[in-house]
Amino acid sequence: MTVAWIGDRDVPITQAIERIAELLVSSLCPVFSLDTDVHGTRAAIALAERVGAAYDRLGGDGVARETALLTDRGGFFVAPGEARRRADVIVIAGQLPAAHHALVTEIAATPPDLAGEAPKPRQVFLVGAETQAAYLRKAKTMRLACAGADLNGTLAALRAQCAGRAVTKPVSDFARFAQAMAEARFAVFLFCGEMLDAPGLEMLQGLIGDLNRKSRASALHLPASEAGWGSSLASTWMTGFPLRTGFGRGQPEFDPWRYDVSRMIEEGEADLHLCIAASGDQIASSRKNLPLVAITPTDRPIAGAAVTLAAGQPGVSHDAVVYSSRVGTLVSKTAERRADDLPDAASLLRSIARQLPGGKALPC
Amino acid sequence: MLTRITGGEIVDPVNGRIGQGDLWIEDETIVAAPVDGRADRTIDASGCVVMAGAIDIHSHIGGGNVNTARLLLPEHHAAHAPRPANTPLSNAGWSTFETGCLYAKMGFTTVVEPAMSPGSALHTHLELADIPIIDKATLAILGNDDFLLSMIRDNASPQMIEDYVAWTVGSSRALGVKVINAGAAAAFKENVRTFSFDDVVPFYGVSSRRIVKTLQAAVTSLGVPHPLHVHCNNLGASGAAETAAETIAAAEGVPMHLAHLQFYSYGTEGKRKFSSEAARLAELVNSTPEITIDIGQVMFGQTVTISSDVLRQFSARGSANPKKTVIFDGDGNGGGVVPYRYGKDFYGSLQWAIGLELFLLINDPWRVFFTTDHPNGAPFTAYPDLFALLMSRDARKEAAAGVSQKALSFSTLGSIEREYTFEEIAIMTRAAPAKLLGLKDRGHLGAGALADVAVYRKGEDIAQMFRSAAFVFKNGDLVVRNGEIENYRWGKALRLNPPPDKAMVRRLDAYHQERYGLSLDWFDFPDSAIQREQPFGEVSCNT
Repeated sequence: MTVAWIGDRDVPITQAIERIAELLVSSLCPVFSLDTDVHGTRAAIALAERVGAAYDRLGGDGVARETALLTDRGGFFVAPGEARRRADVIVIAGQLPAAHHALVTEIAATPPDLAGEAPKPRQVFLVGAETQAAYLRKAKTMRLACAGADLNGTLAALRAQCAGRAVTKPVSDFARFAQAMAEARFAVFLFCGEMLDAPGLEMLQGLIGDLNRKSRASALHLPASEAGWGSSLASTWMTGFPLRTGFGRGQPEFDPWRYDVSRMIEEGEADLHLCIAASGDQIASSRKNLPLVAITPTDRPIAGAAVTLAAGQPGVSHDAVVYSSRVGTLVSKTAERRADDLPDAASLLRSIARQLPGGKALPC
Repeated sequence: MLTRITGGEIVDPVNGRIGQGDLWIEDETIVAAPVDGRADRTIDASGCVVMAGAIDIHSHIGGGNVNTARLLLPEHHAAHAPRPANTPLSNAGWSTFETGCLYAKMGFTTVVEPAMSPGSALHTHLELADIPIIDKATLAILGNDDFLLSMIRDNASPQMIEDYVAWTVGSSRALGVKVINAGAAAAFKENVRTFSFDDVVPFYGVSSRRIVKTLQAAVTSLGVPHPLHVHCNNLGASGAAETAAETIAAAEGVPMHLAHLQFYSYGTEGKRKFSSEAARLAELVNSTPEITIDIGQVMFGQTVTISSDVLRQFSARGSANPKKTVIFDGDGNGGGVVPYRYGKDFYGSLQWAIGLELFLLINDPWRVFFTTDHPNGAPFTAYPDLFALLMSRDARKEAAAGVSQKALSFSTLGSIEREYTFEEIAIMTRAAPAKLLGLKDRGHLGAGALADVAVYRKGEDIAQMFRSAAFVFKNGDLVVRNGEIENYRWGKALRLNPPPDKAMVRRLDAYHQERYGLSLDWFDFPDSAIQREQPFGEVSCNT
């Protein structure tokens, strides 16, 4: 089975790895896009330090917005288990990615067992006219929307009305919402940075903060990307900083604008793109003349890639550690099948590091 | 390989060895002087003090809440890059990689993360595995989790509770058990805003006292070497000394460890209703032999408070500096992150003085432990300055001159002449922690001990001496020379491994299936998930 290509040409894996090392050595501004498990991320960050690269989540805008909520503001958050067992009111703030629909359906359909002696069925609210929840077929939902306002506007009006302030365009069914909040033992707001922008995230947390003055409420973070959030956590403990960190000057520096890898590619700053993806389909064609190194599960070379390495799929063909929204933390995932015997991304990255001048092993 | 550390002043209270002499290391172990006296490597320690590697029993170095704090404060990390001194957190050193290096440079070779949420054990151990050089350990948090509170409410048998505690310790790879504001996190979820030792958790009908006593009994019965590690109620509150006194009284002759006592040693005197009760609590500790405590010393400057006492952190949100916080309602405890700057105002000065009073008024160095509750009282990088304050009354007087004199008038610090000796430092930071944690292989320099050795060059500047060890050996590897990292290695996480009771495993599996819709496998992990060679080292329970 072929596992390595230089351009479209099959090559031994050692030759491909040597070629990647050469590209990294000659690059002045390498950038890494990550869509991998925690150990793939750790190895990638260690390699980034070695070659002075910047790294980001592959298509990382949603994760970057969620990260900014924490770096800029903080907030109230709740574990998914507590949301499931305790939330008597659920408020879905904006559209949630399909990856989370099964979990939300399950939460909505399960009666909370820690919501008092005789808990009522959960009440479910949808914030914003554009928020769809067709996946909640069995749950009775109530929409909170402002005529002519987008999601941020609706959240702002909701917060203002909860605080007793006048608004020009009131939120539909606000009285029901206000009553639900007054009676709630523990309200949980579900959110994701994919569909909610920075002002929306800020407004949502402001509303939750206001509610906590007299009662209890919190937010369940359903990440734009579970793999991205896992990478962000690993980056934070390894360097002190989340994704969008660069080693251009030796020490890690976090700058969500400067080290936005998509921007660095578009604006011509990057001169080498190393992309680790769970699927070859996710790897977009690079800027013209930008050498691309693709590490991904594939049986053929990635179009336009200078070098392609076939890697296993985390948790499918090799054991992995990944972030799971079901438990809100990192979990160990045992391989579903090991038949293809492809190496994991971390092993490949360690092999690349050994081909760099000095040949020193990565620390992880 | 045979190494001889020669000419140093050996300070090894456990083996009664105090004075100049040689220390011999063969590979990973300290050995008696060989008959032929020939070493492969000789380390000149003349002019130096030679001690066992230091052990920190309570330092928040990794896990979910610590990582959230890093995420919340990237601007403080930026300040960690080489910059002029005195910038915020300029000495905090906060990535996992820096943490191990900075501890090693100070001669610390084992550090305990005291607040691991069992549900996030894998995350915590992954972080710990990326802390180089030193060995680590964790304490698993119990006491706000539904499973335990329900069992206590339902009058489950002590054996059943022990089985649950044993399973939690084993599956989370912990070295002991900690209870944090017992019952308060569960009560906070029910909108309770204050919670004391005899208050009752809504829905469960069990008091904080009952939770603590239940866990204390289970830990003792299981033979967990470290006594139940208790973070009392009412942390930081004016008058919290009363809560600490109640908790000490509740030990009732059975070992119990109270964490960061400084944060409870507050009375209600004066117009600010904030005064020192350190002398009273120190006397109480002195007269209660089953009690051990650590201090949680405050040092001045920017830090961030990280605690699984979510109720307390929620209450402290108004004091956040800078103004951003995280409050997390987790399974069990959750936690909160509140950045804070300790100034030399009345409150900061009094907290600083109270910690020192406790250190100096508790007589037995085997029962008082050296901590700043990193980073809650101060980053662990402040330890060298704290050693200087304990070992020199002149250093204390000089420092005291720069703080609020009004605050000092509420404290006995100015009247205390005691200076810690090297022997007392060696007990407090080496011998006693090893004993408290059940780590028989370290904390001393006797033949057969693990070759964790710190060599400090003596000088007028005590802080500099402890900041920058002349030599540090970890498992016999020379890891630090002249305050710089010489050799990079990976330590282990020390853990207990009590066998799980099969009936309890079945019960827990059914519980997780029913309540979370997930099998128990989701809450466990294989050692291979850590991806380090031998990530864990096993410690025995007492028989």
